[in-house]
Amino acid sequence: MKDLFTVFKFEFIGLLKKKAFIVSTILICFALVVGMFIPTIRDTFFSSSAEDDIVIDESFEGSDKTYGYIDMNNNIANIEDLKQNFVIGELEEVSSVDELEEKVNSEEFEAGYIILEPTKYNYIVKNNEMLDSSNVVFEDALTKAYQIQGFGEIGIDHTEVEDLINPNIESETKVLGKDSVNNYLYTYILVFGLYFMIIFYGQLTATSVASEKSNRTMEVLITSTKSRNLIFGKVLGGALAGIIQFGLIILVGKISYDINATAWNNNLDFIFDIPSEVLLSFSAFGILGYLFYLFIYGALGALVSKTEDVSASATPITLLFIGVFFISIMGMQNTESILLEVASFVPVSSFMAMFVRISMGSVSNLEVIISLAILLFSTVLIGYVGAMIYRMGTLMYGNPIKFKDAIKLLRNK
Amino acid sequence: MKLEVKNLYKSFSNTEVLHGVSFSVCSGKALGLLGRNGAGKTTTIRIIMNLFEANKGEVLLDGRKFVLKNHSISYLPEERGLYPKKKVLEQLIYLGQLRGLSSKTSKQNALHWLNRLGVDEYKDKKLETLSKGNQQKVQLAQTFLTNPDIVILDEPFSGLDPVNSQILKDIISELIAENKLLIFSSHQMGYVEEFCEEIAIINKGNIVLTGNLKKIQKEYGMNRLTISSSNKSLEELKVIIQNEINNIARVVEKKKEYLIIELIKDSSKKDFLKAVMDIDIDIDQFSTYKPSLEDIFVEKVGEN
Repeated sequence: MKDLFTVFKFEFIGLLKKKAFIVSTILICFALVVGMFIPTIRDTFFSSSAEDDIVIDESFEGSDKTYGYIDMNNNIANIEDLKQNFVIGELEEVSSVDELEEKVNSEEFEAGYIILEPTKYNYIVKNNEMLDSSNVVFEDALTKAYQIQGFGEIGIDHTEVEDLINPNIESETKVLGKDSVNNYLYTYILVFGLYFMIIFYGQLTATSVASEKSNRTMEVLITSTKSRNLIFGKVLGGALAGIIQFGLIILVGKISYDINATAWNNNLDFIFDIPSEVLLSFSAFGILGYLFYLFIYGALGALVSKTEDVSASATPITLLFIGVFFISIMGMQNTESILLEVASFVPVSSFMAMFVRISMGSVSNLEVIISLAILLFSTVLIGYVGAMIYRMGTLMYGNPIKFKDAIKLLRNK
Repeated sequence: MKLEVKNLYKSFSNTEVLHGVSFSVCSGKALGLLGRNGAGKTTTIRIIMNLFEANKGEVLLDGRKFVLKNHSISYLPEERGLYPKKKVLEQLIYLGQLRGLSSKTSKQNALHWLNRLGVDEYKDKKLETLSKGNQQKVQLAQTFLTNPDIVILDEPFSGLDPVNSQILKDIISELIAENKLLIFSSHQMGYVEEFCEEIAIINKGNIVLTGNLKKIQKEYGMNRLTISSSNKSLEELKVIIQNEINNIARVVEKKKEYLIIELIKDSSKKDFLKAVMDIDIDIDQFSTYKPSLEDIFVEKVGEN
């Protein structure tokens, strides 16, 4: 136990001292702080509420642009109806088609419209671009003007009709179970964070073991203490460093948001107000799943002799893990799917799938406990198998050994 | 303390590489484990260090099964290596702690050995920044860190220059004087001859010779003499002995300075000398032959 702690401390402190760890943590935290403070900085230095309105108006792209038109047969009775509904710019009348084309060509006008009939027009544009949608806006304005004119002719107030066709519906939702809409984002963030941590720290653990083999430290180490202490210490040290990094990022994000919540109009509350039972289940399942994969990656590192072989050797397990990630992400759309339910009990996927079910769906406590027990047992088991593979692989130099061959060799022993 | 290796067998992928290796060594003595490349020295050492499991046979300490963790033992592997990107002192303290020392003692011992080996100025440097020889010395420091009772050194002199070899020779002599049990494998026979009272020569997984070095040398020198002449070349002398006194002696080998001859049956030195003088040979040098370890080694494991 003492040796395990010694290895753990050495690996953990070694990781904390790594430049990559320090720089990545600082950069991510800094980006989060800056991101969270943006609304406060904007409110303090750049705007007042009156100006905000102007900003909104100006935010309409092209609002200061001018478009030309010519109404060939006085088709529109009240031209103001057309102008008011043309929201992307100002409409200016010209006297002839030639003048319209000339002004479009000289880019005085963005585009031009020749109204042939109340519901028929020609569109004049210099370069017809993919994203040009000004003629759609003009069509809407033309339709509106046509409708107002038509309703007026039969003595009906257009605004009354408009209210009847598009009534203002008000509603409130009372969620008795889980609110998937609100939970989606924080569940996604946590699942993605876990995915990233396992991929990153898994590779780091495998590389660390492989480098001990390639620089021949391994033989000194395994004659100094039990191989079990070495792999458990290494995995636990790496795991704690990862958890601290992830926790710190979440904490910095939460504190920065709390300080700036008013400036955000509390719009991000649903991301940061994660219920404690969700956080608890994330910690339990996340940490066990994280350890589960780190043990596998550690054992894989012992099966290669050079650090550059690590990625190739880890590819099958990485693909499996990516599959688990996709099942969980897809499961977030439908937490009752059979695939997600099965995945929530299989140890290679339960840590993510069960968390998704807890966070976004309905799952009984018994199911959670069974899944957690299976995962706990599997993690300890994989830890011991990992230690055996590690011990076996340590003095096998040369070509990388396949994971399934390593299991076969262990069985033969 | 007596360490006994008894009848070790080891196979890798159905190929047997050790075919019953046995030898023994006591405290206060050093055993030289000799053999050509691939003879099975490192495999034998790795079995003692519990890195490999033997298919058959056992390792005993004072008659009981040798359990590594119950004894203070230190090992310098043939495949040298420590953490290249860690600081020298930091990793020595770590290794000392793994072998049961407290952090404080580990640091004290590490500093002592770094100082003794003349590399204390690099204690806060990363290992990879040191020269190969200095890295080798750090590796030796990690070996002696715990003041072990049993020391196993696999090719300890490889990579060391003559000055550093002398430092290591002094340390090894001290360890023997301190009643430590020492096993060391080497290709450099001079060093083995200098320190080892006992030797074990392995050839293709078999022990071909083991025992007290002095006794072995005496046995190999028995009935053998060296001779050279001032009035005949070695080649002429060889022909004369082969043709004229072949009933008394035979030529075993022609060395650079003398011939090695072996007396036949019941012939004595006196018979040989008398015969030589009768043939008018002016003796330049005449003595009993003391074979070097290298001679014995070549004779035992040489291809011919």
